[in-house]
Amino acid sequence: MYDLTSVLEFDALSQIRPGSSILISGPAMSGKQRLAYDILADGIDGGDGAVVVTTGDGAGDVVEEFRSLVPDMNDAQLGVIDCRGDGGDQAVGNAHVHHVSSPGDLTGIGIGITKALEGLHNAGNERGRLALISLSTMLTYTDKKTVFKFCHVLSSRLDSAGYIGVFTIDSGAHDDQTLQVIKQAFDGMIDVRDAEGGGREARVLGLAGEPTDWQRI
Amino acid sequence: MYVDMQTGTVETIMSNSDLPVVLIVEDEPDVAETYKLWLQEEYEVRMAQNGDEGLDLLDEAVDVVLLDRMMPGLSGDEVLERIRERDLGCRVAMVTAVEPDFDILEMGFDAYLSKPIRSEQLHETVDNLLDRSEYDSLLQEYYALVEKQATLEATKSSAELAESDQYDELTERVAEMRDQLSDTLGGIEDDSDFIATLRGLSEDDNN
Repeated sequence: MYDLTSVLEFDALSQIRPGSSILISGPAMSGKQRLAYDILADGIDGGDGAVVVTTGDGAGDVVEEFRSLVPDMNDAQLGVIDCRGDGGDQAVGNAHVHHVSSPGDLTGIGIGITKALEGLHNAGNERGRLALISLSTMLTYTDKKTVFKFCHVLSSRLDSAGYIGVFTIDSGAHDDQTLQVIKQAFDGMIDVRDAEGGGREARVLGLAGEPTDWQRI
Repeated sequence: MYVDMQTGTVETIMSNSDLPVVLIVEDEPDVAETYKLWLQEEYEVRMAQNGDEGLDLLDEAVDVVLLDRMMPGLSGDEVLERIRERDLGCRVAMVTAVEPDFDILEMGFDAYLSKPIRSEQLHETVDNLLDRSEYDSLLQEYYALVEKQATLEATKSSAELAESDQYDELTERVAEMRDQLSDTLGGIEDDSDFIATLRGLSEDDNN
């Protein structure tokens, strides 16, 4: 079981079954990526492996970010699949880094994830957490049907690896129907939004019992 | 086409059964015959001695291609490339004399078999590739239901949804299909399943 309560204090997040996939949804600039990174960093801190599939930050920046989030991280605990398509030659130490030609190259992303999981496994990581940032960018490269299926198939792969996954989506960038479709590919959802009077709040849906109330984070 | 003079019925000779169709592309006749013997009880088998012949025998009906990598004329890799260009949706297993490394998946094959191949290994591979295709069509069906459900959710109020039998029924079927997808085929079991399934998605997208 995975316990995410040190990142987000919700009872519903205290016992996440391996193989679960969680959608992190919220408007632009509401801290979705921060939250996903924190969930991975918390795992690294506790000895889990971490895989980041990124369509925005470059692999080098992601590795740097995690080195500063978890100062005693062993690079071999981290895998990055950089989908920006610019190759990239930044030094990334011993992290398991793979480059993919575009966020629409699903087979390439799958191969990258497979290699990262293999690298992490060989480095002795039996558990782990994967973050995909972001589905909104993928949705500009390929249609919602393909993204839905991709999420479903990836969840199944994470299930057999015993990992959990968090996937971010910008709720303001898509119509209601698209959001409803994408949600169905996940076991649960963390909703984030700006709170009145500053700061942010979140709620958890679908992981354990009824949806929670909004709570300041 | 074949017309039976006595009954007047018309049959298609190429594909006169509901069995899945396996195309064997192999230049060594003995080896090809052996595969055929092993497979013909359960599948309709087509045989080609080289890449060009293989491409001729390939059509929508073919589910799985067993492709020898080292052949005179067109190589297995070249044949694969042309198969993918034609977007037929069949699954391709490469048959090779050496144990390949990871790059096989990147090259676009869905599975590989290294020689010498045993009967049960061959069956296992073909069955698994057929399962992949079944998984794809289930996933497609599942998506269609999810999309319908989402459309209702996006266009009707929660009061209207609570009253709607159609919505109830859809929700139930979505839940059933989700279980079916994870149980019946055991989900995604290994790396080649994972990649082969993803490759299928990108191909659907191109259609």
